[in-house]
Amino acid sequence: MNTDQNNHTTPPARLLDDEAVGKTVQVVRVMGDGAFRQRLLEMGFVRGARVTVLKNAPLQDPVEYMIMGAHISLRHSEAAQIEVTDKDADICDMEDAYNGIVETEVAGANPLADDVLRVVLIGNPNCGKTSLFNQVTGAKEKVGNYGGVTVDSKEGWFSIGGRRVQLVDLPGTYSLTEYSPEEMYVRTYIRDNHPDAILNIVDAGNLERNLYLTTQVMDMNIPMVIALNMWDELEKSGDKLDVEMLSRLLGARMVPLTAYNGRGVKEVLQATMEAIDESEQETRHHNVNYGTLIEDCLKELGAMCPTLDRYTVLKIIENDQHAIDLLDSQDNAQQVKKTAMEMRGRIERDFNDDIVSIITDLKYGFVRGALAEVMKPNPDRNTGETKPGYSLDRLMTNRWLALPILLVLMWLMFEATFTLGAYPQGWIESGIGWIGEWIGKALPDGILRDLIVDGIIGGVGGVLVFLPQILILFFFISLLEDSGYMARAAFIVDRIMHRVGLHGKSFIPYLIGFGCGVPAIMATRTLENRRDRLVTILTVPFMSCSARLPAYLLLVAAFFTANQGLILMSIYLIGILVAAITAIIMSKTFLKHDKTQFVMELPPYRKPTARNATIHMWSKGKQYLQKMATIILAASIIVWALGYFPRHEGQTPQEQIENSYMGQMGKAIEPAVAPLGFNWQMGVSVLTGAAAKEIVVSTMGVLYTGESDATEESASLKEKLQTATKPNGEHVFDPIVAYSFMLFILLYFPCIAALAAIKREAGTKWMIFEIFYTTGVAWLVSFIFYQVARMI
Amino acid sequence: MTTSAIIQTIVVLGIVAVALVYVLKRVIKMTRGKGNDCGCGCGKDCQCKNRPGKEF
Repeated sequence: MNTDQNNHTTPPARLLDDEAVGKTVQVVRVMGDGAFRQRLLEMGFVRGARVTVLKNAPLQDPVEYMIMGAHISLRHSEAAQIEVTDKDADICDMEDAYNGIVETEVAGANPLADDVLRVVLIGNPNCGKTSLFNQVTGAKEKVGNYGGVTVDSKEGWFSIGGRRVQLVDLPGTYSLTEYSPEEMYVRTYIRDNHPDAILNIVDAGNLERNLYLTTQVMDMNIPMVIALNMWDELEKSGDKLDVEMLSRLLGARMVPLTAYNGRGVKEVLQATMEAIDESEQETRHHNVNYGTLIEDCLKELGAMCPTLDRYTVLKIIENDQHAIDLLDSQDNAQQVKKTAMEMRGRIERDFNDDIVSIITDLKYGFVRGALAEVMKPNPDRNTGETKPGYSLDRLMTNRWLALPILLVLMWLMFEATFTLGAYPQGWIESGIGWIGEWIGKALPDGILRDLIVDGIIGGVGGVLVFLPQILILFFFISLLEDSGYMARAAFIVDRIMHRVGLHGKSFIPYLIGFGCGVPAIMATRTLENRRDRLVTILTVPFMSCSARLPAYLLLVAAFFTANQGLILMSIYLIGILVAAITAIIMSKTFLKHDKTQFVMELPPYRKPTARNATIHMWSKGKQYLQKMATIILAASIIVWALGYFPRHEGQTPQEQIENSYMGQMGKAIEPAVAPLGFNWQMGVSVLTGAAAKEIVVSTMGVLYTGESDATEESASLKEKLQTATKPNGEHVFDPIVAYSFMLFILLYFPCIAALAAIKREAGTKWMIFEIFYTTGVAWLVSFIFYQVARMI
Repeated sequence: MTTSAIIQTIVVLGIVAVALVYVLKRVIKMTRGKGNDCGCGCGKDCQCKNRPGKEF
């Protein structure tokens, strides 16, 4: 038995990693130092917190734990850094640290000095900030049932009582320390932009963990309103919360909210306006009482730097470098630093622990103490293994079934995209064919008719027909994301990610990359380590974005009669495989680094809503149509013009297009693409696809429409590709050529927007590297596939 | 060349010129990473300050 500083006797500590599944233990301490330790503390791994080992991932690593009602995934190596003891052992419990609050006078603000008011949304990841943002501003920003969806600030507007308010959605964060880019982003944003109020969104079903961030915001002395989101789930759980009393205790208005259906939104906004109006007068702010010693230190140091708020003063005592940097403008900076250092030493000696753990323990102690007064948990409440959705989770993450289920779900999604999408696609195709024919007959022969029929209808129409498939695919992705399964997929494949040298968090950018590479590259901002970020940024373009989908759909439908879903899925899987191989090579050579640790929160399973899935699908569809009407239309016109001029009298359409500017360009690059089985039209298509990947299809639409004779004008692009022949009479396309072409489109360099994002996030050098690397890989993979397949 | 053919040619060349300028502007804008909400090229400026937002 050991005895701690408060004379608690504890059995010898063990490591969390050694605990068997199903066991509940108590945290003694988190070993190590730095960002990962801080993150674990913030997520609730503080002294006295109870942790239950729920299950191992299918590949035995990582392990799912439950702490403070949240499900957390930790790798074995990371769990081995947490010392635990028996759940009933008498160790210094966090409630011992509850000292209530202290009040501080804050001078009145002048919120109406600006033309508009600014309110910022903050909260833990996946607590519903963006859902509220969309409800309030009418925006359609992406939401998902996993953390890390928002990585940048998003601004929107609303009006209330005749006043115009700017609402800013910030990335989700567990705390306001300095350990990860998103934490720093939120902290710097609040410091530099002086919002008129903070709208703090907390998950009402997980108050203990969510209120930790609240304790930090309280110290910033900015008017705050707390929205208790997912109130419906709290009501369903049967837990009773005294909102009035908790509100009085924290000194902030609290309003129940169910953001996804808009219940309570108006009340939250009204409360926010009241808080802003109130801040005009001198007000008393509530702060966590850290006990006599720390409070005395805060008072003494606060008097030495009167311009800084309590939050910053506390951070200076905690030796936070960014807070210390703020002292540089002060004359007494050296004296403040010296005093802070002495105070830190005194506090650490008194508590016999390091300052970060002490402050985190005290904050959690405050939260626990406050909740003990206001929360009555339902004794019959379902927790852990009896929680709704858990039996489904056992199946989804089963050791033997998890990976097959993941693959079957992917296959189902792609198969449904094909089979369900085929009907509306046929209608659109007929419609476009009819319009083309009608215009062809209505207009006299001439250049204008050729532009409209061959350039615009042939180019844009060729891409437009795939709209139903795009909508169906995103509907399925939205269902998987909203249900919480995507985060489980990250849990299932984490070990594989770890093996290839990738950070587990890279899974989120990869996931977003299936939609569009640009937000995916931006999502790498959640990665703390620059080398992790670089490897992820450089491999994200191998995730097949939705812009490439029309090309696959066209080629698979045209040249593969059976197993179309499987063929499409194989393309996506090859993208993932190439990304993995690239990551292994990079992390073992020029981007070599130690394995970074990773802690991930697994969101609860939720029933996906038709509204959310439809919004997601509609927003993708709108984006697709907007691209049709702008960049793809313009590019089709240019491609048509390059294929139309110069005109030569007496030539067949085939000869005309071969002697056009586009034909000359294509012939010039043909030697480079011929070993891959491509003709010059395909070479030109991939070249024009640099602007946006859909242009690959629209270019083929224009080039192959030009080739057709009058009777074939109404034939679809698919039929034209099937019948396209070389001068020697052989078919241009067969399944091998089509697959080789799909591989090239999958892997070759990202579109200009994605390259710009790489330049912005990683620098010009890496952007240039990416252009050559991806194109080189694409050429090599297509070459090997084509040559080997031809030999077989 | 008939008058109609001349007019058609002028119209078509005008359309091609507009398309060319549009694509070049878009490419320059995208290369500089400016303009759009996510830079994906959808052309939608989601953060436009003139967007009215909702009334409560």
